[in-house]
Amino acid sequence: MTWLLIFAMGAIVFLNRYAFLEPRLPLRLSSNARQFLGFAVPGMLTAICGPIIFMPDYHLNLSLLNPYLLGSVVAVALVLLTRSVLLSMLVSMLIFFLLRSWLA
Amino acid sequence: MPHSPHIARQAFLRGAIAILPLSLAVAPWGLLAGSMAIEANLSAWEGQGLSAIVFAGAAQLVAIGMLKGGANLASILLTTLLLTSQHLLYGLSMRPVLSNQPLRWRLGLGFLLTDEFFAMTSHYDQQQFNRWYALGVGLTFYVAWNLFTLAGIVLGQNIPHLDQLGLDFSIVATFVALIAPLVRNLATVVCVAVSLFCSVLFSAWHWETALVAAGLLGMSAGFVCQKCFGGRA
Repeated sequence: MTWLLIFAMGAIVFLNRYAFLEPRLPLRLSSNARQFLGFAVPGMLTAICGPIIFMPDYHLNLSLLNPYLLGSVVAVALVLLTRSVLLSMLVSMLIFFLLRSWLA
Repeated sequence: MPHSPHIARQAFLRGAIAILPLSLAVAPWGLLAGSMAIEANLSAWEGQGLSAIVFAGAAQLVAIGMLKGGANLASILLTTLLLTSQHLLYGLSMRPVLSNQPLRWRLGLGFLLTDEFFAMTSHYDQQQFNRWYALGVGLTFYVAWNLFTLAGIVLGQNIPHLDQLGLDFSIVATFVALIAPLVRNLATVVCVAVSLFCSVLFSAWHWETALVAAGLLGMSAGFVCQKCFGGRA
């Protein structure tokens, strides 16, 4: 079951990557399709983050003292100020762990 | 275009060196991909297989998370399709330089076409593009990704309760750092806001397809907003 999933995922990702490299493919994405796909990264990545931030342990947590929420706010501020993905990731994780031990 | 082995090797090395910083920056991701696979009760081979065969960090981490949450095969595959659909755009963008390459180069470089690969090679036109340079970029990143995954698998097997360290926050930290700089116009703000709200709402309702549905709604909202108010609104 897991191997079936791994190979199927591999096939899907590879087809996404290869599709438009095939010279015999006459198709082109319409301008609308391209604009829609342009929202894939912010749209999908945000959807993945939402439940992790607001539903730790599968329970809704809308408290302002939620360390996941505070850590995310720090990450947004840092990446906008420094433009460094790696730095803001590392610093916001550090702050998250500190907040988690204080607020727990 | 004749390529002497010497020139090819030099171009390959230039590519390998150019991708080194990004290969190191991917370390936390790779560690996470490996340790999360173990945490979700995948075997070491399955964890490594994900990195070796799928080779798409975000899709791997999400698939592992969904497996852990008990999602079914179809919804994981649909999420994978949506989550990696930006690769269609990369392929389209690289079509002028790659579609006239021999089949084995198209297949090889196509497999290695990650976000990072695209960032390093997409600005070359047909004259400047060197397939050996591109292979150096792609293969180095592939090897780094798989080595960090292996390190994550070993750590995950030997350090107990890695799941209680809040490692899942590093997904948030990474994605937030990738998303925030993209939010430069109203359409993207709307897309992110709708997606965020719906993902929490649908998850609270215990929808199995919460993430896909929320992502698609967010994308649609952003797209509609862009159509109505124009790209720069």
